[in-house]
Amino acid sequence: MAVTEVLFSWLSRDNALFFHIIIGGLLVVLPLIILLYLGKKPSWLKNASLLAALASWLVFVPAARLYVDFYPATKTLILAGTWPWAHKVVMETKEHWGLLLPVIATVAAWQVFKGDEEKSRKWWALTLVLALLLAVMGRLVKMGAGAQ
Amino acid sequence: MTSKFNFYLGAAIAAWLLAAMIVIAELFAPFKDALKAAFTHHWLGKLVIVGIAFFVFAYLMREKKAIAGITDEKAAWYSVLGSLLVILAFFVVEFIA
Repeated sequence: MAVTEVLFSWLSRDNALFFHIIIGGLLVVLPLIILLYLGKKPSWLKNASLLAALASWLVFVPAARLYVDFYPATKTLILAGTWPWAHKVVMETKEHWGLLLPVIATVAAWQVFKGDEEKSRKWWALTLVLALLLAVMGRLVKMGAGAQ
Repeated sequence: MTSKFNFYLGAAIAAWLLAAMIVIAELFAPFKDALKAAFTHHWLGKLVIVGIAFFVFAYLMREKKAIAGITDEKAAWYSVLGSLLVILAFFVVEFIA
């Protein structure tokens, strides 16, 4: 039994999906807002940066529950269908790219905290682009399960 | 947070460690099995190891400003981009092969 089944048994598949989408959405919206206002150095910049970094780690709770406990059934469907690359390339890449998202967001937030706001710009842009790509890849994987 | 850690170097090491773990786990089954045995799932193992490496090396290398003559910021940026590219390329090649 995977550790996620024990630690996150309180999290149903629907709730995990809901939180995954909400927190994932925050990882698009927060970097976008930060990028738009970075030059003005608003008073809330550090709070928004900290929230984005925390969200990038917190997203692993629903992500782990979905990937470890519920994805195997979807994977079987994908591999039996006509889009095996949806798992073998897209999901394999997505699940591992996702591990770098908190690393990138934490570096960006750390730069804001140490006063290097301008240097943080490309790291926030990478956080935003990567979060968007992960969302698109997730959609492709879902479509792959229906490609029979 | 600003002086106790150098998250650039933590990120650089975590990025290459992740790429290495992925390639080794896919090509050498006993390593993937060991991750699964220790963490109940290979992906959870990579998550825990990358997370710990990121913070531990950020702390251990807090005084360093460069690595192998490359500034810490450049090392982090190109390591993260390199790791992302290696991961994608590896799974594309593995699928085609």
